[in-house]
Amino acid sequence: MSAVEAAPRVDSRGNRGSAAWMVVPALVLLIGFFALPYLTIITMSLREASTRAVYGDGFTLAHYTTALGDFYIWGILGRTLLIGATVTVISLLLGYPVAYHLAKSRSRWTSLLYIFVLSPLLVGLVVRTFAWMIILSNNGVANQALKAAGLIDFPLQLMNNSLGVTIALTHVFLPFIILPLLGNLQAISPDLAMASRSLGASRMRTFWKVTLPLSMPGIQAGTILVFVLSISAYVTPAMLGGTGGRTMSVLVVQYLVDNFRWPAGAALAIIMAAVAVIFVGLYLRLTARAMRRLP
Amino acid sequence: MTGSSNGVEKTIWDRLFTALVTAIYIFLMFPIVLVVLLSFNSGEFLAFPLEGFSLRWFEALFSNKRFLDATLYSIQIAATSTVVNGVIGTLAAIYVARHATMARDYIRLIMTAPLLVPEILTAIALLFYFYEIRIGTDYSIAIQIGHIVVTFPYVFLNVSSALFNFDRSQEEAARSLGAGGWMTFRRVTLPAIKPGIITGCLFAFVISFDIFNISLLLKSLGKNTLPLELFDYLRFNFDPTAAAIASLSIFMTFAAILIIDRTVGLRSLRF
Repeated sequence: MSAVEAAPRVDSRGNRGSAAWMVVPALVLLIGFFALPYLTIITMSLREASTRAVYGDGFTLAHYTTALGDFYIWGILGRTLLIGATVTVISLLLGYPVAYHLAKSRSRWTSLLYIFVLSPLLVGLVVRTFAWMIILSNNGVANQALKAAGLIDFPLQLMNNSLGVTIALTHVFLPFIILPLLGNLQAISPDLAMASRSLGASRMRTFWKVTLPLSMPGIQAGTILVFVLSISAYVTPAMLGGTGGRTMSVLVVQYLVDNFRWPAGAALAIIMAAVAVIFVGLYLRLTARAMRRLP
Repeated sequence: MTGSSNGVEKTIWDRLFTALVTAIYIFLMFPIVLVVLLSFNSGEFLAFPLEGFSLRWFEALFSNKRFLDATLYSIQIAATSTVVNGVIGTLAAIYVARHATMARDYIRLIMTAPLLVPEILTAIALLFYFYEIRIGTDYSIAIQIGHIVVTFPYVFLNVSSALFNFDRSQEEAARSLGAGGWMTFRRVTLPAIKPGIITGCLFAFVISFDIFNISLLLKSLGKNTLPLELFDYLRFNFDPTAAAIASLSIFMTFAAILIIDRTVGLRSLRF
C-alpha cells in the first residue's frame, strides 16, 4: 500500500480532469437509467387514477390509504413476510454447515463442491422453478416417491401454496447465504479455534464460543440478502404459488400488467419496499446488539 | 476441524455432519440434474421412471420457431449488454481505482447499486420512466437498457478486484522506460486485468441471458426472451420440450463456469 501511495502519481494529480471522461458513460447510464427512474416510482404512486390514460391530472394519497385499508392486501403482505422469514431461517440452517464444510475442506473435490454451490446461482430462475414444478406437482417426483415408498395413498398438495414457494425459494437463494458466510469463515484465523482447543474447550464449545460469534457478520449479510431477495421474488411465486401462494410482487405485477393500474401498483411497490426497509432496519439493530458483545 | 489430519478420530458427530452436508449438496444439485435427465428421456411425461435415451425433445425444440427466435433475441440482448458493459464498466473501474479521490465511495456505491436493490423494483422504475420520457417499450431499446443497467455491476466489480490485486509499480516501470500512456495501458495494464474483464463479461452475459423481471416489464409486444418464452410455454404446456430448453440453458451456464474456472478460478468471482 505505502509503496503505491509514495510512488509519483503519473496521471492522477496532473491530469485528473482529463481522466474523468472514463467514468462519464457509466454515470450517465446509472443516473439516467437507474437513479432517476426510482424517483418516478414515487411520483407515479401519487398520481390520480384515470380510466382513459395511464394516470390522471392531479395528485393524491388515495392509493396508499386504499391499500392500507384493504385486508386482502394485508394478508398478502403478511404471507410474503412469513415466506421471507421462513426461507431466511431455513437457508441459514442449511447454508451454514455447507459454508463451514467448504471453508475447512482441503480435498481435491473442493472446487467441484464449489461448482455445486455456485451453479444454482447461475442457472436461470425460470429453469430452477420449472425443476421444482416437476418435483412438487400432484403427480410429480416427490409424490411419486412417497407413493412408491407406501407413505401416502393420495398425492400431497406441495405446490400452489406457500409451502411450495418456500421450498423452491430456499433452493433458489441458498447460495446467496453460503457465499458471504464462506468468505467470512475463511477470513477467521484457524489459530483462534486452535487456541481454544488447546486451552481445553471441547470442539462443540469452541464452535459456539469462538467460530459462531466471529461469523456473525457473514450471517448478518447473508440473511439480509436472502430475506430481501425472497420477499421481492417474482418468478417462483408466480410459477408455482398459484392463488394460495400469491405474494406482493405477484400482486404488483398483476396491477401493472394485467389491470393496467400503474399508480396503485406503484403505491403497492413502495409499501413493499418500505416494509422491507423497516424489517431490515429492526434486524440490523437487534443483530448489532448481539455483535457488540463480541470480543 | 474434520478429522484425520489433526489426528483426531472420527466421532459420530463427524459422520452426522458429513451426512448432513452431503444431503444439502444433493438438495442443491438435484433439481438441475433432474431437468437434464428428463430432457433426454424418450417418455411423454416429465416423470420417472426414465424410459430411454432420446433427442426427440431437442428436435421438437429446434423445430419450434418461437423458441429459436427467443433464443436469438436473448443472445442479441445479452451480447449487447456484455459488449457495452465490457467497455464502460472497465473504464469506470479504472477511473475509480486510479483517479477518483473525493467522491470515490459515492461513485462506487452508485456503480454497485443495481445489485443492492430488488430487480423487480428496478424493472418497475424503468417501466414508468420509459413511459414518462416518451420512449415507451415499443422498441427493444427499453429492455436493452434495462439489461445493461442490471448487469453493469458484475463487470465493474470483477475488473475493480483485478485492478486492486495488480501491482501498480509495473505501470510506473513501463512509464520510466519511455512508454506512453496508451502504450502502458495496452501492454501492461490491460493484460494484467484481462482475467477480471473476461470474468465480468461472462457473468454479465449469463445473468443477462437469465434475468426475467426486467424483460417481463420492459419487453415490446410479441418479442420474448428465452426465459419469457419458457414461462409463457409452461402456462399451457408441461412437457419435456420445456426440459430441453432448460437443459440448453444449463449447458450454457456450465460452459461459462468452466471457462471462468479455467481462466481465473471460481474463487475470484465477485458478486
